[in-house]
Amino acid sequence: MNLAGLEIEQIEPRLRYKVGYEVGFACPDVDDLVQESLRRFVDACLSEKLRDPEAAGAFLNGICRNVILEYRRRLHRDGPMPEVEPDQPMKGLSHAGLFELREAIEAAMKQLAPRDAVVLRAFYIEERSVEQILEMTGLTLTNFRVVLCRAKEKFRRIYSSSVKSGGASGH
Amino acid sequence: MDADPIRREQTIAQYLARKLDEKARDAFESHYLVCQDCFEELRAAELVIAGLGPAAIECTSHSDITVVRFKESAELTAASSSLSNLLNTLEGRSDTKVLIDLSRVSRIDSAGLGMLMRCYTHTVRKAGALKLVHPAAQVKRVLSMTRIDSVVPTFDDENAALQSFR
Repeated sequence: MNLAGLEIEQIEPRLRYKVGYEVGFACPDVDDLVQESLRRFVDACLSEKLRDPEAAGAFLNGICRNVILEYRRRLHRDGPMPEVEPDQPMKGLSHAGLFELREAIEAAMKQLAPRDAVVLRAFYIEERSVEQILEMTGLTLTNFRVVLCRAKEKFRRIYSSSVKSGGASGH
Repeated sequence: MDADPIRREQTIAQYLARKLDEKARDAFESHYLVCQDCFEELRAAELVIAGLGPAAIECTSHSDITVVRFKESAELTAASSSLSNLLNTLEGRSDTKVLIDLSRVSRIDSAGLGMLMRCYTHTVRKAGALKLVHPAAQVKRVLSMTRIDSVVPTFDDENAALQSFR
């Protein structure tokens, strides 16, 4: 089956994330929206509606957006539109998966040098610009890049192992 | 997607904070739907943010002076996370003139005092200064009993504290 060089197993968790991001990860209809998006994407690929395989991402994103829009319209038509509070994706994990993930995150945070934690907090939480962070911490741009990449690498490993054990992919 | 890891990370951070405009969000989503590398970076950034938790300490600048404040009530004790938060905040920065607002600190023990002295040494080594402002009565008494207030200048008024750096 030609899906523009993509495997359904690879697309599914990414699509699930996108849908969860839009409608809330705790929404009970996430699965249905993902399946419907995938079905339409596979149908379109089989009937050769995807002319440019390079644009497969935008094509899939468009399909998914339409599915979500239709879902929202249907909710609106059937009754008052519920407030969709986009919650944290980690909420969707099983208790055991969440516990393991939290343990791993805490362990990784403890391994961070104090300065690295300040840099990451300033970048991700306080949303400071790179220039502000460099001025605040006295780091060079190269050092900043090293801090960022080193921390990300550590957390990517945590994510990968949680996927293997069925944790982060479970939502 | 941007090959520069910093710019890619900025996009990811903005996406997670829901601050990307519609066009940029569409472009990023279209990309990570077909790029495992960027999707993993996105999920890893999410874990970093989960690990960092909400900001417990706020730093504001008054010209070259950094004022450090606790966002909620805190205890500077061995068992408290506020202690490590404050230490991490100060030791990770290169600011030399630091004013710590203790108004939300309800309790301090020997670990907290040791940490204050560590922060003091850290700024003095960089030819700077560390001062304290608004200590609650109980904290003020401990600072006085241990004579730390004779080493680390302590003020009741923030303006007076800021002026004293000049």
